[in-house]
Amino acid sequence: MISRVAEHCFWMARYLERAENTARVLEVNQTLLLDFHVPVEQQWKPVLIISGIHDYEGDTGGESVQGYMTWDEENPFSIVSSLAWARENARIIREVISAEMWERMNYYHLWLNSPAVRELYHNNRGEFYAQIRRINQLLTGICDSTMAHGEAWEFLRLGRHLERACQTARTLDVKYHILLPKLDDVGTAVDNAHWIAILMSCSGYEPFHKKPMADPSDPGSAVAEFLIFDDDFPRSIHHCLTECRRCLADIAGTPNGEAHTPADRKISELVHWLDARDIKDVISFGLHQTLTHVVDSTHTIGEAIQSTYFAPEIRLPESPAKKLTQTQSQTQ
Amino acid sequence: MTTATRSEGQETRVAKVAPRLFDGYSPHPTAFDELFEPDGSPHDHCRTLVEKLGRLAISEFHTRRAGADLAFVNQGITFTVYSDRRGTEKIFPFDIVPRVVPGGEWPRMETGLVQRLKALNLFLNDIYHDQRIIKEGIVPADLALGSKGFRKEMVGFTPPGGVYIHICGTDLIRDQHGEFLVLEDNGRTPSGVSYVLENRAIMKKVFPHLFQDCKVKRVEDYPHRLRDALRSVAPAGAASPPTVVLLSPGPYNSAYFEHSFLARHMGVELVIGQDLFVHDDVVYLKTTRGPQKVDVIYRRLDDDFLDPKAFREDSLLGVPGVFGAYRAGNVTLANAVGTGVADDKAVYPYVEDMIRFYLSEEPILRNVPTYICAKPDDMKYTLDHLGELVVKAVNESGGYGMLMGPSSTQTQRNEFRAKILENPRNYIAQPVVTLSTSPTWTDEGVAPRHVDLRPYIVTGRTTWVLPGGLTRTALVKGSLVVNSSQGGGSKDTWVIENGS
Repeated sequence: MISRVAEHCFWMARYLERAENTARVLEVNQTLLLDFHVPVEQQWKPVLIISGIHDYEGDTGGESVQGYMTWDEENPFSIVSSLAWARENARIIREVISAEMWERMNYYHLWLNSPAVRELYHNNRGEFYAQIRRINQLLTGICDSTMAHGEAWEFLRLGRHLERACQTARTLDVKYHILLPKLDDVGTAVDNAHWIAILMSCSGYEPFHKKPMADPSDPGSAVAEFLIFDDDFPRSIHHCLTECRRCLADIAGTPNGEAHTPADRKISELVHWLDARDIKDVISFGLHQTLTHVVDSTHTIGEAIQSTYFAPEIRLPESPAKKLTQTQSQTQ
Repeated sequence: MTTATRSEGQETRVAKVAPRLFDGYSPHPTAFDELFEPDGSPHDHCRTLVEKLGRLAISEFHTRRAGADLAFVNQGITFTVYSDRRGTEKIFPFDIVPRVVPGGEWPRMETGLVQRLKALNLFLNDIYHDQRIIKEGIVPADLALGSKGFRKEMVGFTPPGGVYIHICGTDLIRDQHGEFLVLEDNGRTPSGVSYVLENRAIMKKVFPHLFQDCKVKRVEDYPHRLRDALRSVAPAGAASPPTVVLLSPGPYNSAYFEHSFLARHMGVELVIGQDLFVHDDVVYLKTTRGPQKVDVIYRRLDDDFLDPKAFREDSLLGVPGVFGAYRAGNVTLANAVGTGVADDKAVYPYVEDMIRFYLSEEPILRNVPTYICAKPDDMKYTLDHLGELVVKAVNESGGYGMLMGPSSTQTQRNEFRAKILENPRNYIAQPVVTLSTSPTWTDEGVAPRHVDLRPYIVTGRTTWVLPGGLTRTALVKGSLVVNSSQGGGSKDTWVIENGS
């Protein structure tokens, strides 16, 4: 397929995934605060950190941060920005995605610009975030069931899973940025509340609790293990990266595991790096250090995908004339 | 109470009936009406349509109308107006009362359009080769060779299959007597066909039963016809089937929706300039699996912007070297380069003579009488009658650069007088033709509004005409300007078999 089109597919999926994730984080944070007393300065800052915003100078109160992360068009990580970019990518390749996907995407674009949505935001915040989450969920479903499972679809999947791996890593890493008031707070209600919030932000609360926990006294390490390594959980880092590797193998037309392109090599490197570790290694190496490595590597993988598929160096085809001369000189 | 009302008789009951769509419709006093006879009864071929549609209560009509508008908005069938940072997407106003072309008249129109197209292609071939038509004094040399659309780079070159105008959108109008006349030929990159197809799709959703009752000719074959036509004129050595791409100026072009729509329905790749490159006079597409050779380019980019190496150097939209590849015979461009000379408004008056000259036939479709300001007598007549004529700049389209004499001010007339005197070659004038009207929904209910018709003619090894075409309608009362850029709307066009 056309390199530029592949790039639009990849980014459309990433932006959609990003919007869903942001909505989930905001929603969880909002509901969580109802149950636990978390110090004010810790309530909303993590939300910014997950999106990689470290220089926010506005009011860190709930309404202000939610407004910034939902509506601010100048904030590239806000929900409206992510969805606007997703829709713009979709508009450019609307002949590539299925008509049904485009119509849904466009429907939500119009919805997001309607007065009705502002009302919903003000009157029923939880439902608003749920609707935003549903956009990506619905589009992913429509995509899988109405689009040919060819190259364009693979690039969409690739973008979705790479973004998801990155988001899970960032969400888990937020624990590093929230300092508990006192060391004694480890294992307390507040500490537990953080872990639950992280699980819920990744939609992992139920699946996590359905698993037998090795050491119930250490929820932190169990949650980290689950979100990094659990291959059955669709948002775990390992699961997402394995999916990325599979997509890249399908795109390259090579059997899974054989690395041919720079993109294949970069993704395999990270998967192998994780495979060589378990949760104990991660804790001793440092959870933050591990997650930083994962996030940095997803950037490198993105660059490798870019140079392999989106802006590849063009290997010029030999012209018929040159071929002829070569054959001739060989025969002489 | 109910009984009492009933007992009072018929009149009360009639008064209680909701108003119907065509109640009180009065046709235009002078224009030909597309649905009704002057006495208010429907034309024979429109009887079923008028009867069925006429049963609709106004409120029901509103519901359908809102449904159609919503469908356009939800599907993003829009054009973009860049007045702010993100751009505002707008829908073209769409009127759900169809415009009808009688099935009995259509075959003659079809033959007339094919005849005209054939002559235009022969003219282009002649102009870029022997120039017989100039040598024999039929078309003045300075008019043809001095046209902005004439490309000296095309001289001596024959495009694959000998086809110049693969896609033509010929604008027809219907005069007071109901006769179809050709207003202009669009042989460069005519647009609008996606609206024909989308209008139809939406009408089928809004009025499914009407289609069952009236025998309406299909329009849905257009994208495949076009794709097959383009494949049929691929250069020698093309892949089988040939690789066709649609080259768009890009997502910020106002017609991007149409480009995307056509690519989707033709099953070809939609590309922008940066997706293509030329190496050793061969055009390649940049794909995830490396370069792929391209055989046919359906370009929606004007000649000027096509190739910065051959034409405008500052074009960032084009493909450097593509014209060289074309001249080397390695790629087909549709439409060919240099077709603008055939749809130049100053060359237009000679098309009837072209038909006689190349085909030895009488033109089936007639032109609107035209005064060519390049001719001293015509210029004098034009200047003397500015208040009665429509004056048009020959290289403008979209309703720009136009003087509508009867509704003009003295200042506007003075301005045009000066312009004509300064550059006579740039102007033509025509008598004001009262365009036919078609019943259209307005704020005052259904009222007559002027319409034109743009049929689309597709040429590969053979020529095919899309049944009907795009009906554009002026939405302002009395206005004769139907261009979308001037606030016009569109309608679905039905070629209805007679007697249905």
